[in-house]
Amino acid sequence: MAAVENSGRAAILTRIRTALKTPAKTHDAHGNGAAAARVDIFAPVGDPLERFRRECAGNKTELIVTPSFDASVAAASAILAEMHAGEIFVQDAPRLRGAAVQFGAGRSVRWSCDGGPLEATDVCVTLAELVVAQTGSVLISSDCGGRGATVVAPVHIVLAEMEQLVPELETALAQAYGPASRNSYLSLITGSSRTADIEKILVMGAHGPKRLIVILAEG
Amino acid sequence: MTTTAQEFLRRAAEKSADIVHRQIIRKNMDTYEEAVAQSRGRFQNWQSARERCQAIKRDAVEHLDHYLERFEAAVQARGGKVFWAETGEQARQYVLDLAAKHNVRTITKSKSMVAEEIHLTPALEEKGIAVFETDLGEFIVQLRNEPPYHIVTPAMHLTRAQIAELFKEKLGGIDTDDPVELVAAARVALRRAFFSAEMGITGANFLVADLGLVAITTNEGNADLGVTLPKIHVVITGIEKIIPRLQDLALFWPMLAGSGTGQPITVYNTLVGGPRGAGECAGPEEFHVILLDNGRTDLLADPEQREVLHCIRCGACLNACPVYRNIGGHTYNTTYSGPIGSVLTPHLRGLNQFQHLSYASSLCGACAEVCPVKIDLHHHLLENRRNAVNSADRPVSERFAFKMWKWAMGGAGRFAFAGAAGKLALRTLYALGMQGTALDPLGAWTKFRAAPPLPGKSFRAQWKEQNGGR
Amino acid sequence: MPKVALFIPCFVDQLMPQVGLDMAAVLRRVGYEVAFPEEQTCCGQPGFNSGYWNDARPLAERFLRVFRDCELIVAPSGSCTTMVRVFYPQLLADSPLAGEATQIGKRTFEFSEFMVAVAKVTDVGADFPHKVTYHDACHALRELHLKHEPRKLLARVRGLELVEMPFSEECCGFGGTFSTKFGMISSAMGDTKAGNAAKSGAEYVTSTDPSCLMQIDGILRRRNSPIRTIHIASILARTVPRSVGSMRREAR
Repeated sequence: MAAVENSGRAAILTRIRTALKTPAKTHDAHGNGAAAARVDIFAPVGDPLERFRRECAGNKTELIVTPSFDASVAAASAILAEMHAGEIFVQDAPRLRGAAVQFGAGRSVRWSCDGGPLEATDVCVTLAELVVAQTGSVLISSDCGGRGATVVAPVHIVLAEMEQLVPELETALAQAYGPASRNSYLSLITGSSRTADIEKILVMGAHGPKRLIVILAEG
Repeated sequence: MTTTAQEFLRRAAEKSADIVHRQIIRKNMDTYEEAVAQSRGRFQNWQSARERCQAIKRDAVEHLDHYLERFEAAVQARGGKVFWAETGEQARQYVLDLAAKHNVRTITKSKSMVAEEIHLTPALEEKGIAVFETDLGEFIVQLRNEPPYHIVTPAMHLTRAQIAELFKEKLGGIDTDDPVELVAAARVALRRAFFSAEMGITGANFLVADLGLVAITTNEGNADLGVTLPKIHVVITGIEKIIPRLQDLALFWPMLAGSGTGQPITVYNTLVGGPRGAGECAGPEEFHVILLDNGRTDLLADPEQREVLHCIRCGACLNACPVYRNIGGHTYNTTYSGPIGSVLTPHLRGLNQFQHLSYASSLCGACAEVCPVKIDLHHHLLENRRNAVNSADRPVSERFAFKMWKWAMGGAGRFAFAGAAGKLALRTLYALGMQGTALDPLGAWTKFRAAPPLPGKSFRAQWKEQNGGR
Repeated sequence: MPKVALFIPCFVDQLMPQVGLDMAAVLRRVGYEVAFPEEQTCCGQPGFNSGYWNDARPLAERFLRVFRDCELIVAPSGSCTTMVRVFYPQLLADSPLAGEATQIGKRTFEFSEFMVAVAKVTDVGADFPHKVTYHDACHALRELHLKHEPRKLLARVRGLELVEMPFSEECCGFGGTFSTKFGMISSAMGDTKAGNAAKSGAEYVTSTDPSCLMQIDGILRRRNSPIRTIHIASILARTVPRSVGSMRREAR
């Protein structure tokens, strides 16, 4: 909507600028922000893989560490077989095209270039942008199979590699959205969907997946 | 006293005496407190974390115009639209017009206190549009036709038995109080809505200025469905949600989760920057961000209370507040309850009608102690009280009483006289059998607790006796 | 001998004089010469808390004048000390006495704070062989940052067993006029506090603030609880043997 149709814009900005002409009063000795900026806020991450393992155990992400991407694919296939997965949705990436020969065998594969996952989808398989040790999270963008790949199906499998493992969240965010990025969507996912809205009792799989499985290739 | 204030007193009395309610809330808060204590362990320096958050929000608010313009430009560069709404009315109208233009019949909504603030849902429903709350807690209170009880956990006041009964009645095909099955039932019920809705409405936890991203946080993933499946995504947000940089979220996300629910970080921290991008296989065709003022610039113009705009709506102050724990969220009868609500509402909706909320506090300061952005909440309650008095809005009897008090305290002789006379009058009234009656000056005290014993001699009288003239 | 001036809150003067007398006795016992500036009345807190800052301001200015020449000021109350130290600067920001208002807070102390931080004495020879639980009064805790000081003092009292109650930091519900304006909420909070005190197994509840103790006591009495309340100064004032004079004063 062009600015001329939205008179509120000029009005609000004027009100803001007028208000800010008067400096804020503070009650106590502020200006500690500068000192605080030099302090380490979070406890140190330590060994990233160990920390990532611990965090995943804590947030109920199923973590499988494999020696190589091929081994990861094999692990994914095993999981799919165990689940008797019928229809799967896979991110359209060259590596996954190759891998689909294995885990796509005997099931219906929908590729992300053909649209989003459907209600009937059992499992979504994607790569990730980054993996974060500090919080045990995966960073997924719309490049990783598009929006919806992370939440539509009841199971989400992420294939990631050790070189994507970043120790701190702050570093991950600094790298997440470079100037060349055109992604309209990014999501930092820490565990699977859950709710505690009923008597604070934790229930997994609210609207998103019940299971988040991260298969991390070391080699 | 306004009727709003009278209604508040009536509800507060009812809820304060409700032991079952007190126990439910207590149990919830104990669980929360345990989780928070654990999550603090992740911070090497909790106080420094708060100070840094405070500094970042102060920077954001002190340069609000600059950051909002940057945000707007980045969103527009990605094909999104930004609408600046001065009032709730303008914001509602924008959504209504958009819905009409696109023949929207169904809307899925993730939790938004701002949408509550402007009463968006009733306006949409009036036009025959079905609005589905997708956050489980909001879904539950929507079925009950009541407002959210708490800004983070909307159905905190309900037992699983009550929710089971509700689902049995409203959803049908379910007769259990097992939370797993109840959640599954909600999921099924909302699935249809998710896949058929033409519009998804969300709030915003943060607006990232440097990259023009809207940060939306959920545990359920409902917002992610809501920003993926419909053709149109609308974000409704207050202008104060701005933070300067994406990296700031590395601090704010854990702080929000730690203070809000005691989690290390919420499950889905999603960033949306525009409609579906070129080459993306899923996502809305249109992306609209409504930046709402609705009184926030008035608060900005108050140099004492500008920092109230730093609030990240984590709900920690509600959880810490002993008043909230006793009267619950509905008693406030405002969009924002608890300490932040008591501070904020007079600014958004008028001091005259809502000053009583600032007085309904013992000023214990637990709120300010837990606030992740270090807002001096209890001190702002004092300022609201002062503002109420200075606008000559207090009852005449109270103003008179304090004039008398000022006189009595104005000199040692008067003070001693007033004290002695007061005690004599009290003794006389009690001797005449007036204790506990309408004429008992201590009636308001003794209604709920025993009166303190009345000593014979004051301190100064005894001191004089024992120490001569020193 | 170093001197201290007693700052006796208005309601302590009228309703709980023994607290002031006990505090004076302890200060003397540890070697201070104690004076009571008898011109003092009220620090202005009740009016200030209700928003009547213009009415409270002259009383604050009066306080500054009354205590102007006192080097050390001690009060048996965290909330009154808070009024002077934390709020006088804001209340008197535009007053000609603004400078004094920011200074006086540096020489005004809550009693337990004074004992530990200034007098540097924790063992005052007190004897109180009872189970005692401590209520963290809000102003003392959150505005004056006192948590360990009262406990240090109680730890040195002979025979005293300090038992912590759950949620000792939760507000008792007094809050000044809040206690009568919103009596139902205040008493619900007091009820919770009384319940937590009972859980500790204590015979006595103590605190730095007489107003909290008045609230808690009122609730306990109404519940027919055997638990008693006693100000920390009164505990510290108890010694063995007890003087005839002190027994006579307590009986009153």
